[in-house]
Amino acid sequence: MTMTASRKAGLTSERRSGRPGRLRRPAGLPWILPAMIVSVGLLYYCIVYTGYISTLDWDGASPLQRPVGADNFARMLGDTVFWRALGNTAAFFVVTLVVQVALGILLACLLHSRLYLKTFHKVLIFVPVVLATATTAPVFREMYAPDGTVNGVLHAVGLGDLAQPWLANGTSALIIVMSVQIWQSTGVVFVLYYAAIGQIDTEVLEAARLDGAANWRIIRSIVWPGVRGTTIAIAILTAIGSLKTFDIPFLVTGGGPSYATEFLGTMIYRVSITFSQAGYGAAISVVLLLLAVGTAIIIRVSSTRKENTDV
Amino acid sequence: MFETRTIRSRVLLQILLAVIVLPFVFPLIAMVQGSLAGRGWANYQTVLSLPLLPGFFLNSALLSAAVILIVLACTTMAAFGFSKLHIWAKEVYFWMLMVALTLPGVVLLSPLFATVTQIGAFNTLWAVILPVAALQIPFTVLLARNFVDGIPSELIEAARVDGADTIRTFWHVMLPLMKPIMAAVLVLVFINSWNEYLLALLFLQTPEQQTITLVPQFFVGQYNNDQTKVLAAAVLTGLPVVIAYIFLQRFFERGLAAGALK
Repeated sequence: MTMTASRKAGLTSERRSGRPGRLRRPAGLPWILPAMIVSVGLLYYCIVYTGYISTLDWDGASPLQRPVGADNFARMLGDTVFWRALGNTAAFFVVTLVVQVALGILLACLLHSRLYLKTFHKVLIFVPVVLATATTAPVFREMYAPDGTVNGVLHAVGLGDLAQPWLANGTSALIIVMSVQIWQSTGVVFVLYYAAIGQIDTEVLEAARLDGAANWRIIRSIVWPGVRGTTIAIAILTAIGSLKTFDIPFLVTGGGPSYATEFLGTMIYRVSITFSQAGYGAAISVVLLLLAVGTAIIIRVSSTRKENTDV
Repeated sequence: MFETRTIRSRVLLQILLAVIVLPFVFPLIAMVQGSLAGRGWANYQTVLSLPLLPGFFLNSALLSAAVILIVLACTTMAAFGFSKLHIWAKEVYFWMLMVALTLPGVVLLSPLFATVTQIGAFNTLWAVILPVAALQIPFTVLLARNFVDGIPSELIEAARVDGADTIRTFWHVMLPLMKPIMAAVLVLVFINSWNEYLLALLFLQTPEQQTITLVPQFFVGQYNNDQTKVLAAAVLTGLPVVIAYIFLQRFFERGLAAGALK
């Protein structure tokens, strides 16, 4: 109530201050300068520098730099590991997005229902979010080791035949990397959905309930359309997150076995630091950056266009 | 939300909730269990008696405190400026920040490495503090600007009519109103800087300068991959953030929701 009232008041005042003769807003440039210098200054400096390095044959430290034009980019196009990393990123994005959205909505609906121990469950879902991958990676390596917890459980319940070195198989290693990501970030998706569902009008829900709508029907026809904006935001966050993926494959699988869990991030690290080919690493960085910005723009634009045709 | 009027549906939903949450807890149980395997609590004693351990914690605390200070100062000022003050071509500046939102930290590797070694900041905390702060600011500014947009401009105008200049308006009117979003930003930035791994791995080379995210690796090298001690160290390094989260849970969720919804 008070919120809507004050927001309305804010709107009228804005319109009023736009008219000539009224109080002009004071100059704000100095107020945004610190943020612009620290963030935009440092990051854009690095971006431009990366662009320059990407045209060099350079090890990243020595004074010897040889300009090679677009050779690094040409090499990338013929590099099977690069395409493998891109494919992994795409698969990673689709799987983690679908699973997290499904789990997030289901959990948010469950925790908006009248059940016991709600805060307890909320905290448990969110604890993985706050733990560093560097902290939890040893656990996952131990769990999926040949003599680890997972195989131990399988032997204990009589499914010993299924036991295998999980991280040595390319497919299962990629699934494990995805599952760790889902484990780690479902908490964030849940919190966003939880807040969004809290804004859905309870009277609509009651009316649907009176009309005899089942739980599944309510999720599909009321909740899902009602949280559309949140889903788009989550899709953007997950897309950018997938492109940024580094810690989990680096620490849990090391990008292996034989590049099965290689992502652009781990590839850049391996090329630039381990192999000391800063020029080639910078070229991959430039592509990664373009992909990240491009993805964000595409999702933004396509979602607003769809919204317009819907109306 | 869901029908809970009959006992049967209520029990079913309660079981469903427990079944979904179980996989989230399993690795945590495995972590604690693994850390107690073999010699039990003696694993923790070994880890805690390590003379370098307080240093790792102190470095992480210093790193987080510095990042939080920089980010909070920049974010509150920028949110005020973007939301309530007059800036020519404001949205251009804002979009420059938002592009940086998509920036993966790994892209900064080579240029940062070259710059940091050149200016002699290699193996100092500053080499990590500034880039981490720079990478956080776009998101925190987005959150805080959304929040400040919801604060009525009348309050600012009233303060001006009463003769307060912009600085006093910011300090006495805006900052107290921004407390909820500041709390959310604080928790968010604390978790991210406490957990920073890549830049710390790259720029902090000696154990005296390293942060706690590098502790598991330190143990792998030091104790010949003794998993029980690695896991004991992992539990100890995870505890501070879990405790911080549990205590600040309400602030965190409310602030995140307030900033992200709108």
